[in-house]
Amino acid sequence: MTVDYDPALIGRVFETTEPVPVTAEQIAAFCAAINETNPIFTDEAAAKAGPFGGIVAPPSFAVTFRNGRHFFEHIPRYGKQGFDAGKDVEFVTPIRPGDAITLNSHVKEIYEKTGRTGSMVFVIVRSTLTNQKGEVVAHVDHRFMNRP
Amino acid sequence: MSTTLDLHSHSEASEDSRAPLEAYLNWLKLRRAERPVDGVVLTEHRQFNKDADYRALEDKFGILVLKASEVETDYGHVLVFGVNDEMTRRFDFANVHLPAQEVIDEVARMGGVAIPCHPGRPNVGLCEHYAKKPPLENVIAVEVLNGGSRKGEDERSVELARSRGYRSIGGSDSHLVSLIGLCATRFEAEIRTIEDLVRELKSGEYAPVDFRPRRKPVPHATPVEVKQA
Amino acid sequence: MSNANNLTYESVQIGDALGPVEFYLSKDQVRAYAKTCGMWTPRFTDDEAARKEGLPGMITPGNMSLAILSKLVTDWAGTSGARIVRMGTTYRQPVLPDHTLTLQGFVTHKNESDRTAEMDIWIESEEGDRLVIGTATVHFPR
Repeated sequence: MTVDYDPALIGRVFETTEPVPVTAEQIAAFCAAINETNPIFTDEAAAKAGPFGGIVAPPSFAVTFRNGRHFFEHIPRYGKQGFDAGKDVEFVTPIRPGDAITLNSHVKEIYEKTGRTGSMVFVIVRSTLTNQKGEVVAHVDHRFMNRP
Repeated sequence: MSTTLDLHSHSEASEDSRAPLEAYLNWLKLRRAERPVDGVVLTEHRQFNKDADYRALEDKFGILVLKASEVETDYGHVLVFGVNDEMTRRFDFANVHLPAQEVIDEVARMGGVAIPCHPGRPNVGLCEHYAKKPPLENVIAVEVLNGGSRKGEDERSVELARSRGYRSIGGSDSHLVSLIGLCATRFEAEIRTIEDLVRELKSGEYAPVDFRPRRKPVPHATPVEVKQA
Repeated sequence: MSNANNLTYESVQIGDALGPVEFYLSKDQVRAYAKTCGMWTPRFTDDEAARKEGLPGMITPGNMSLAILSKLVTDWAGTSGARIVRMGTTYRQPVLPDHTLTLQGFVTHKNESDRTAEMDIWIESEEGDRLVIGTATVHFPR
């Protein structure tokens, strides 16, 4: 059984977002929200002497960047409900205050399986994050689960 | 000589697991005292890896590795042991709506055995389908002990097996390295090959075994505010 | 900064545990995350509205569960310079706030050629159900 979709969709970049600036305040607010206390993320003086030579965002900050308005125009929906089923993230370059992050996104894979809640179609969207220097920051695979 | 096998596991060949077989075997070696299993059966989702050859790893760790498959049917998920070319030609294993009765009958005719897994689980287990449709024929066993079950699911499976006279197996349904071997099946006979396993499942003596540690309960929380950093 | 917790590729052993860490996740903390991360939607902030969507009450965003598990790993790595290079999560059941969660992990294998260690990580409910499971890869500098 195959899921119905246009094969040309797979791999084609459907969106490049405007760069989103990252401030020290945003990183501090994110740390507060997750009770982060590791000095490499929270203490400028300690972080300077640490492995990254300055404050970096906790790795999970990378998944907070959003795709833009083209997203739902290009992500096929199967059924009424859509859920975040999980993520696979490759962290390449740490995010620092002053960075500007751009997302490039494409559909990586579409497949069907069955689980406790019924038949499900999974759509995997890969967003590649780059910073203002053109360095890859992270690859984030979003696993969207659709059910009727 | 008895043989204890984890009859349900997923390695990185399954789309929702990242566990390499070698890490599974190494973990079993490390935890041998708590999880004394002699082998694992890889039941990858919706596929059968005919060409995979695990002999070098079996020899390295002294643990038996057998190959099977977990397919998806109109009566829920089913483990297929003894997969051969005839079966993979007859059924598209990737089809998530395979006809369960045909799978059970045809697999048996072609020399294997098909065993419904986690029957107590909503939607993908037999119990819910039995409430709406006639029961399947020629089911010889079901999985009553599954390492991924939620509260009540295994209890429903045990009750199904009891009321229908099905025999019982157990498996970890592990998708993570550290969960391999926590549930298994103990056979009275020695098993060295997939043919031995199929024969014993059909006519041997076996029972599920649970190696999960007893968990100390976490008391229900009294709401206290967590201070913000 | 010194390598405070002396964690190195060589010192890490297969079978080493991360946690278990028990902590109480409050609704206010989930709301703080939702607010900071631009996820202020009813299912993450309001019990009544979440129930109207068929949920048992307000739930924790998947991204926050990922952050909680990522923190289990970065707390373990401390200031050693070891860095998460890959992480995967599967959200199996909703994580409900105002409950005590148990976080746990185990180092499952190591890769000498790129000096990485692989670990299982999960969030467990008070009943012992694994609500979120995942794996992480940590790289150790020379």
